[in-house]
Amino acid sequence: MKETRRGGKLQAFLAVLRYEFLWNLRKKKTIGLFLIVFTFVTLRLALFPLLDYFSGVTLRPDPSFVFDNVSVLQPTLLLFLLAIATTMNTISGEFESGTIIPLLTKPVSKGLVFTGKIVAAFLTLLGAYIFLAVYTTIGGLIIYGPQNNLELVPAGVLGLTAATMVWAAIVIALGTLSKNSMVAALGGFGIYLGTTIVGAILTIYLGATSILFYTPGDGPTATTATCGAVIEGNATSFITGTNGLGSVIMNWILNPALSVNFCGIRFRGNRPETFALSAESISTVALRDIGVGVVYIIALFVVSWLALRRTQITE
Amino acid sequence: MRNRFGPKVGNFEVPVPPAIDVENVSKSYGKLLAVDRLNLKVDEKQVHGFLGPNGAGKSTTIKMLVGLLKPDSGSLRILGQKTTGDNPAVRRRIGYMPELPKFPKHLSGLELLDIYGQMYGMSKEERKSRASELIKMVGLEGRGKDRIGGYSKGMQQRIGIAQALISDPELVILDEPSIGLDPVGMVEVRDMVKDITKTGKTVFFSSHLLGEVQQICDHVTVLNKGVSLFSGPLSEIGNKAVSRRLVVEVEKTTDAISNYFKTLSYGTVESTGNTFTLHLNTTQDIRAEVSRGLTAAGGVIVGMRGEGGGLEDAFLSLIGKESLAS
Repeated sequence: MKETRRGGKLQAFLAVLRYEFLWNLRKKKTIGLFLIVFTFVTLRLALFPLLDYFSGVTLRPDPSFVFDNVSVLQPTLLLFLLAIATTMNTISGEFESGTIIPLLTKPVSKGLVFTGKIVAAFLTLLGAYIFLAVYTTIGGLIIYGPQNNLELVPAGVLGLTAATMVWAAIVIALGTLSKNSMVAALGGFGIYLGTTIVGAILTIYLGATSILFYTPGDGPTATTATCGAVIEGNATSFITGTNGLGSVIMNWILNPALSVNFCGIRFRGNRPETFALSAESISTVALRDIGVGVVYIIALFVVSWLALRRTQITE
Repeated sequence: MRNRFGPKVGNFEVPVPPAIDVENVSKSYGKLLAVDRLNLKVDEKQVHGFLGPNGAGKSTTIKMLVGLLKPDSGSLRILGQKTTGDNPAVRRRIGYMPELPKFPKHLSGLELLDIYGQMYGMSKEERKSRASELIKMVGLEGRGKDRIGGYSKGMQQRIGIAQALISDPELVILDEPSIGLDPVGMVEVRDMVKDITKTGKTVFFSSHLLGEVQQICDHVTVLNKGVSLFSGPLSEIGNKAVSRRLVVEVEKTTDAISNYFKTLSYGTVESTGNTFTLHLNTTQDIRAEVSRGLTAAGGVIVGMRGEGGGLEDAFLSLIGKESLAS
């Protein structure tokens, strides 16, 4: 019997994953938040066609509906809320409830417990987003007709999951340091609000300033249109912060040679004027966005891991 | 401490390490010294009680043993392996039930046992049969599929015992297994612990209940204010009781007998009729001396018996001594 137990690291890891999955899937707040997100996605799919229908407007096909909607949750607050619901109890909840004691006295290292919890959070979010992506794709095909670039949907889903993991890493780090779920949730929300408000103020006064490339959130908006000019029919714009990882990656894969503009704002007298702040290739934008996201995730997980490793269980 | 040897390797017998070996361990929380240079050895197959009042340092010691706390100094070994640091290999060999255990409310009792069993690397079939066996053993039959969130305190203690045994461990550590239970629950949990001791496992369990330790253990360590006051066989702890009494009944009380008792320096004497009670201030066995003295005084001894010297007396004496010393 002992022999069969020796190669148990994978078994132990799978056990931690299962333990965490069951917790994530049975948490009322995760289920509630997912239902809210599902409602928003449904409204996005069906609200305008319904309004058109009741106002007698003929529904027009939109072959880019799935491409435009599968990679960014709107509003992006939902992305943060899903991260909170999935991870606010990940480590702090174990300390608050006392369940950390039996868990850490099983033959699993703290490293394995930590990794298992992070992987479980990632897979939970990935699973939720895959479901929403499939739902959006099928709905889009039914409502808006044949869709372009459906092969990019998986990349969008991965990007969206990574974007959520940035917020998840912030929430987990706060929870591990404080051992308190409320501090994790409210602290994370504070950071979200702070970066959003500061980002909005900076955008109003400075436009797509480069500071926003390096803070978690929506970041500067990139556009294929000329700054200050009237936006033409084919021009697109998308957020390039960590929240927009999905759309940035999809645009990068779709058109690697794409060049995008970041527009600044300056005041001439009392009148704001838009001007070209910078122009970058989509690959630069994408690589920087991925880099910033990855650095946030890794740095915050390292902080969390060090905090967990040092922790002694006194209560 | 008796010598213990394991199997022969060549011409040598490999000594079996103690199941628990604590050497000179100290632990403090800020200015509070919770455990002070503690030494403790528990041999294999022992049923060892860890006795002490609340706040004595029992849980702190156990948490250091299972790796939840780091000692400030000293070393702790379980089954010959160091427990300090993150050491899953040691934990693989022990089953631990925390004081007032808390388990994830979203899992059922059976799911909990299955997941914990998987952490021990047990196969699916092994886990399934062991989990249902344990659910039955701890009296949770019919409730195994219910979520732990709906369990009463007693049921949580039961599932706590079950999870400590899921891997059929060599060493079982139970921290106050019957704390917080009603009298019936306490008896039931005590019976479960007795059942574990019958399986030949080494059992180390802490308690502040003297009767519980007396009923279950063959060895005991008494801890107070982080200091070990006694560690050894339960049968020897009675010698530590300074409140022991020697009751002597003589056929007829005479002045010579009364005077003889007054000359004894082993404690104070009370007399009622023909019965003399000596409240002893020594652990020395003075029965032979008293017998000779009374015979010399012309007395006829009808009966002589020792009183006190039980665990309770010993415990109170030890705690009292320690309190006086501090």
